[in-house]
Amino acid sequence: MTNRRQFIAGLLATGLAPRSTWADVGAPAFLSAAARDDGTYVLCGISAALDVLFNVPLPSRGHAAAAHPTRAIAVAFARRPGTFAHAVDCATGQVIATLDAPQGRHFHGHGAFSRDGTWLFTTENDYEAGQGRVGVWDVAAGFTRADEFSSGGVGPHDIKRVPGSDTLVIANGGIDTHPDSGRTKLNIATMRPNMTYVEDGRLVETVRLEGEHHKNSIRHLAVNADGRVAFGMQWQGGGPAPALVGLHKRGNSVQLLSVADEALRHMQGYVGSIAFAVDGAQIIATSPRGGMVQQYDTDTLTIVDQNTLADASGVATTPDGVIITTGTGKLVNLHGHHAETVENTTLRWDNHLVPLG
Amino acid sequence: MKTCLAICAIAFLPGVASAQDVTQNIVNDHILPRFDVLAETGQTLEETALADCSATSEPLRAAFGTAFDAWVSVSHLRFGPTETDDRAFALAFWPDSRGATPRTLATLIRTKDPITQSADAYADMSIAARGFYAMEFLLYDATISTFGDDEYRCKLVQTVTADIAKLTQDIATDWQNSYAGLLTNPSPDGPYRSDLEAKQELFKALTTGLQLTSDARLGRPLGSFDRSHPTRAEAWRSGRSARHVALSLESLRDLATHLAQHDPPLQAELNAAFARAQTQLAAVDDPAFAGVANPQSRIKIEAIRSRVEEIRAIVRNALGSSLGVVSGFNALDGD
Repeated sequence: MTNRRQFIAGLLATGLAPRSTWADVGAPAFLSAAARDDGTYVLCGISAALDVLFNVPLPSRGHAAAAHPTRAIAVAFARRPGTFAHAVDCATGQVIATLDAPQGRHFHGHGAFSRDGTWLFTTENDYEAGQGRVGVWDVAAGFTRADEFSSGGVGPHDIKRVPGSDTLVIANGGIDTHPDSGRTKLNIATMRPNMTYVEDGRLVETVRLEGEHHKNSIRHLAVNADGRVAFGMQWQGGGPAPALVGLHKRGNSVQLLSVADEALRHMQGYVGSIAFAVDGAQIIATSPRGGMVQQYDTDTLTIVDQNTLADASGVATTPDGVIITTGTGKLVNLHGHHAETVENTTLRWDNHLVPLG
Repeated sequence: MKTCLAICAIAFLPGVASAQDVTQNIVNDHILPRFDVLAETGQTLEETALADCSATSEPLRAAFGTAFDAWVSVSHLRFGPTETDDRAFALAFWPDSRGATPRTLATLIRTKDPITQSADAYADMSIAARGFYAMEFLLYDATISTFGDDEYRCKLVQTVTADIAKLTQDIATDWQNSYAGLLTNPSPDGPYRSDLEAKQELFKALTTGLQLTSDARLGRPLGSFDRSHPTRAEAWRSGRSARHVALSLESLRDLATHLAQHDPPLQAELNAAFARAQTQLAAVDDPAFAGVANPQSRIKIEAIRSRVEEIRAIVRNALGSSLGVVSGFNALDGD
């Protein structure tokens, strides 16, 4: 593996891969897919001041993107169950590679790069087996398929790299789908979501929720510099959800954030995106269904504030708070109890806002 | 005077109902009668199987068809009593993309598993071997309907139908005794705190029902042009695939037009869109959608799906906002 990595690093150095860095494309702070009012789809780079720096056409509706750690390359994923993803050179707007899911697999909308940017990892469905996989793609070789391994569960959705390591954390939502029936959920009665940690393709820790939570689909993740992972859930059971946000650190038991029933109901059983804020002292969760943004304190594990925001979806950390995107075209800079909004009337922001750097 | 008359006439137009009436009307006209029929036909199915359990029995097949019709007509109402103890999953394990139903039934029959001795015990059985889709295999599948010991299979048919009867009765009882009230009388402690939340639930039933009919009932057999899958059609063994689309459209049309009763132009638009889909479906003489594999007949089934997609677009773009329920770009799509 080491030799291979050195070889690939050499390829990158000789210029066989695009050379632009994020600084060359105006140093965007975030990426997000969007739908334009003319019915086309784009991937946008957004500055810390919330200006749209560039937009690159996408062939279909996007979901999330994965940003290369150094080079100005983003991989945009179609909404599930997509069978292709596009690696885009954000300097030129060119698609430099198309990633086709192998036979019997489809993407689940999320991916993450290795620490050094050598590999891309993608959540996938082995749909005949109904088992989650993680695809491994060789960046320097033009995003070719190199390997795959088990995600440790069913229906993997979000995948993140734990900062300062090459440990991957995967949200196995537990929901079995098969492309022959579109997005129809096949196993709600028996679903068993989990969150797994993987190192070098090997499962090193599995986090499960017990009892009634077997219908609480763990879908989205946020990682903090100290290794803590926040997860957002989507409730598939009847009645109100028992909890929608959880917190975990390797080797510890999982903590669910307690919320008064009333506040929990505002989220409509659905967290769309999640992020840490204020150096990990807070977690921000959005619900497009509830039109709601909630802020939680990670020490007291309770909710500290909530605000209505129509179709609130993407969220990403900033030095003093978070940026939230909405399906109505807003970029909201939320810090403490203050918020400034930039509205773009021609764009509808898609589910996720991806932080760079 | 004329102006006043015109205004008064609008105010008393029939069909312009207050918001709460929409929910009340849907519960009384759409939900309760359908679940009552399901419970009654479920009961008849159990009794018919007790009298004659053979797979080729005409009375049994007829009772099965009638009860299955009743299920399909409520199959979009997946909230509250249907979800308690996963009753709806036990009644309707479909789509079964990996063939769990025939596999589980074959294992039961081969091992003569004693779990089939009572419906109570059978309530712990894997949902793949329960409900209407398991019954279809027991009555119509060439292998399963003749597999193993006749006596054991007879008992299995009687137990599966008894289980169906109990599940459908429990759902109807819960609707009558409590859930109808919870939906129509929102309260701070109930599952619905406002009538808007109740309507949101009903709107979701409509959108997910349309999605199931488009993606699964039509999308599964259609597959792609190069790879169609006639044997992925719903209930193709009993030749009920097109019938299920018709029954679901009939129910969904009733729900959609009730939801739009405050907005006559939108109601008319929905009625017309459903009518186009239903007319085209009625003109296709292909009960099991076997024609998906033939380019000439396939195009007609594709057209029905396009009509359903047109209904979905109206519901998504107009009905949601007309009702005042959330229908945002991300909110409606999910992830």
